[in-house]
Amino acid sequence: MHRPTPDCSSNPQRRRRSALPIAGLQVAAAILWIPQAAALALALGRLASGGGPGSVLGLAAGILALGVLRAVLEAHGKRRAFATARDVLSKERATAIAALAARSPIDRSRPAAGRAASVIAEQAEAVVPYLARYRPARLSARLVPPLIWLAVLSQSWAAALVLLLAAPLIPVFMALIGWRAQAASEAQLAEMGGMNAMLLDRLRGLATIRSFGAVDATALRLRAQADGLRRRTMAVLRIATLSSAVLELFSALGVAMVAVWVGFHLLGVLHFGVWGAPLDLAQGLFVLLLSPAFFAPLRDLAAAWHDRAAGEAALSALADLSRPGMELPGASGVSAAPAATGRKAAPSRVEVDGLGFRYGEATAPVFGGLDLTVEAGEHVALVAPSGAGKSTLLALLAGLAHPSAGQIRIGGRVLDGASAVELRAETAWIGQHPHVFPGTLADNVRLGRSIDGPGVDAALAAAGLGNVVRARGAGPVGEAGFGLSGGEVLRLALARLAASPGTRLILADEPTAHLDAETADDVARALVAFAKGRTLIVATHDPRLVKHMDRAIELGPNPVREAA
Amino acid sequence: MLRDLRPILRLFLADRVRLAAGIGLAAATALAGLALLGLSGWFITATALAGASVATGLAFDVFAPAAAIRFLALARTAGRYGERLVSHDATLRILAELRERLFRGWAVPDAAGRLRLRPARLLFRLTLDTDALDGLYLRVLVPGLTALTTGGTAAIALGILDPMLGLAAGGALLGLGLALPVAASRSARRAAMARTHGLERLRAGTIDLVTGQRELVMAGQVGTRQEGLARIDARIAASDRRLDRIETGMGAGLGILGAALVAGTLLAVAALVRDGTIGVPESALALMLALFAVEPFATLGRAASELGRSLLAARRLAPRLAPAVSREPRRAPTSGLAVDIVATTVRHPDAHAPALRDVTLSLAVGERVALVGPSGAGKSTLLSLVAEEVSPGSGSVAAIPATLMTQRTELFRDSLRDNLRLADPAADDARLLDALSAAGLDDLIRGLPRGLETRLGDGGFGLSGGQARRLALARLFLRDSGLWLLDEPTEGLDGATARDVLARLWERGTGRSILTATHLRREAERADRLAVLSQGCITAIHSRGDPGFDATLATLRPD
Repeated sequence: MHRPTPDCSSNPQRRRRSALPIAGLQVAAAILWIPQAAALALALGRLASGGGPGSVLGLAAGILALGVLRAVLEAHGKRRAFATARDVLSKERATAIAALAARSPIDRSRPAAGRAASVIAEQAEAVVPYLARYRPARLSARLVPPLIWLAVLSQSWAAALVLLLAAPLIPVFMALIGWRAQAASEAQLAEMGGMNAMLLDRLRGLATIRSFGAVDATALRLRAQADGLRRRTMAVLRIATLSSAVLELFSALGVAMVAVWVGFHLLGVLHFGVWGAPLDLAQGLFVLLLSPAFFAPLRDLAAAWHDRAAGEAALSALADLSRPGMELPGASGVSAAPAATGRKAAPSRVEVDGLGFRYGEATAPVFGGLDLTVEAGEHVALVAPSGAGKSTLLALLAGLAHPSAGQIRIGGRVLDGASAVELRAETAWIGQHPHVFPGTLADNVRLGRSIDGPGVDAALAAAGLGNVVRARGAGPVGEAGFGLSGGEVLRLALARLAASPGTRLILADEPTAHLDAETADDVARALVAFAKGRTLIVATHDPRLVKHMDRAIELGPNPVREAA
Repeated sequence: MLRDLRPILRLFLADRVRLAAGIGLAAATALAGLALLGLSGWFITATALAGASVATGLAFDVFAPAAAIRFLALARTAGRYGERLVSHDATLRILAELRERLFRGWAVPDAAGRLRLRPARLLFRLTLDTDALDGLYLRVLVPGLTALTTGGTAAIALGILDPMLGLAAGGALLGLGLALPVAASRSARRAAMARTHGLERLRAGTIDLVTGQRELVMAGQVGTRQEGLARIDARIAASDRRLDRIETGMGAGLGILGAALVAGTLLAVAALVRDGTIGVPESALALMLALFAVEPFATLGRAASELGRSLLAARRLAPRLAPAVSREPRRAPTSGLAVDIVATTVRHPDAHAPALRDVTLSLAVGERVALVGPSGAGKSTLLSLVAEEVSPGSGSVAAIPATLMTQRTELFRDSLRDNLRLADPAADDARLLDALSAAGLDDLIRGLPRGLETRLGDGGFGLSGGQARRLALARLFLRDSGLWLLDEPTEGLDGATARDVLARLWERGTGRSILTATHLRREAERADRLAVLSQGCITAIHSRGDPGFDATLATLRPD
């Protein structure tokens, strides 16, 4: 029932390696600053020794050419890094969506719709900055400063020493401050999310708030809450911001100390720190120009730091969604739905042999050793106390999960992974709360199947929704069927059924629960009319529905008993 | 564009001192960095020239520039720290104000109705839009004005050395440096919008795939839906790529601009040095300024795509931020009546047929009327009409102040005490406990270690359906209102709980007028009159004792 993880492409180790050569372009662009700085320093040296504009013309051209090359390389590298990262996002989304689609609808560990949607839509977005910005920034922070440092070292060991002392202190201080700050800011972020949640929570209950005249009080309360949050956030930020201040301090002091040392050296006050001959102006300027570039990758990394936490959280949330659960039979072939035949087919005979089911390895079986036969064209009620497994049995008959034991045969064919898609196409299922998709009533009848306009109209009319269509027109129905009454939603499910003439077996799970007496009667009558010449199995408590059936089967803790 | 931003900008301007301080500190930080490098370049060059001869070398004052360099290093650090704190504080203040205003904006009846029709979509959009707005200050305004200040200062400094140089550099920096991001944000706007809409569709599609999976599997359409989601993602990816192209293109443009500026400045200062207008140290200063003045513009790349998103958010939030038009208070009914509805029609937005048609109904003070009829007949709409949740299209409605108990129990994530105080902010604990006891929650409250302090989850999560209903009941009891509107008050409760809840309701409701929407016999049997609704019309009104009263009661669902 549980498939092993089939996809290795989401392994982060592999992605890391493939990102390397792309980030290399950005590193190369950063390294190009070394010759550019050299050209600039040389040019000033020439000016100092009395050279005119002619003497620096070539160097100016070189600076411009190197600058253009740098800009192009960097843009190209960023574009490539982005494209790769975006492809990873698409793939991760597709994998998660495929895993959700391949999960049995009765899997109890299935993620909630809202959670799945926010992971796949918004949270997943964090993958791109993480892969496209943070990863290259980390690579640059590892490669660029050592190379710049070597260039500085080639001129002066004293300046190199200043940078060497300033740089390693940065990660140490940042880590010290960052650890405390990160934990606190994560908690803060969660609270910020709580702030949004609070606003939404109050907006959902607006009718009550308005009715109690509490709009003003609630608005002030929201304000007070937000102000409290602000004060707490600022307390955290005062520490968290220290880490960026430390980075700023060390890089500024590093540059300042290099400048002061070079100045004193050129003045002839400090003689140490060079490899032989004292530095000239060009060399001194070269060293000065390189020092901010030494710190720049560290600052970029710090700026991309929060991309990391968000990106890693997103990847792990996506991996969570992609974990396979209880398998939907025939899930691998879900895209290949057989075309509807368009003509009415003969009813199916349903045979159940020694059927058993449990929701997980550790849970008690819902039922076991169940035997049952429903003749072709027979209308049968399943009656049982709640919790006896009526809904589960219907789901198994609909081919929505693999039984743990035993076998189901429909129309003589064994229901398994190979036959599930075809058998489902001949089966209709109606639940207590049919799902209404955003869109028009006609869209909701079609559900993407190719049914022509008159076919849809006929189905809607047959289900008794003709006047609703006339009243609402072609406009969309509200979210989750808002604006449709419970009875109308069930009639919509009946219209879906009416639009599938190839149906041989109808399974209905308490279709009349939650309906008022009049509507329940109507729905029951319509259901029975549609089921004429088809096999119908209804799980129900409703005595008025049971009396429409040929017989009732009582499902209990013991093997099936027949009722009158 | 500006019109969309106006309500948001007004919100920002209310806190202009803090916002200006944040921007000022950010600009000061950038300027300190620029000055640090410019001064360092000047200092090195000057010392090199001075050091060339021993006499001038000894006379050169090294300490003032060296001290200034160290001061600038510290100033940059302090500036950065201050800027972060001030700008975040300002943003959080604005967001707090925004939340309060949004809530008030949605709390007007028509907006509340729209919210009820599409709660998940609108609320989700609202969250994303408020989040997008905090980027407007931190990621658009602050970097934008910082770049402007830095570029302007560098241009002025260069202009002091040579007016033409300053003019040229200023023109390049402020002209192209700002034109590029502005052009980028213009061309990014459509992609940013397409991206936002795409994400909303992806989200809605995923919700449908999960909640409607059973229907889709049975119709053999899961694969088609999966392909549809992949297509949506592909379209989002296309917008993403376009935004990235704009951002990197702009970055490359600024990089080239920077290189051209440095090369041009180099040639210009070479000419100025030759002519003796400036010295070599000044030319080093000029080059350093030209080199690092472009840096603050680089952050504007992200600002460009951010602005598109913020504008969309601003446009969608603006209608809710406009000051609410206060409506005329509703007319009170003639004395002796609690509700007086005359020939009233109600039409929901986007609906073809009216939800209520030519309805006339009045309730005497102290009278109990039950509205019965199949679901969808307009019972809840009639209650909403009396509660002023929906406005009448035509006709007249008069009623005394009413309290509505909604069909779905609406509780809030808050403490038990604050959930109750919604009805009576002045109530002390004794009064709250009394109401809880009247609603039959003695046992619950005794079993809670934190008592009234106990926090409820989302929508009252953590309580059973019956407990949640009783809590709503206790809240209703705390409100001393002459008219109760009860929408299916015991739907979904088991028979014993339902009868207990009803008994408590009728007992506390003595002397009040009560309008109940129901399809259950137990809720209607204590009414003085039954009003039968069908497709938005009142088709019959039966008083207790009429033969129609019992006949109608008999059609209702027993327990």
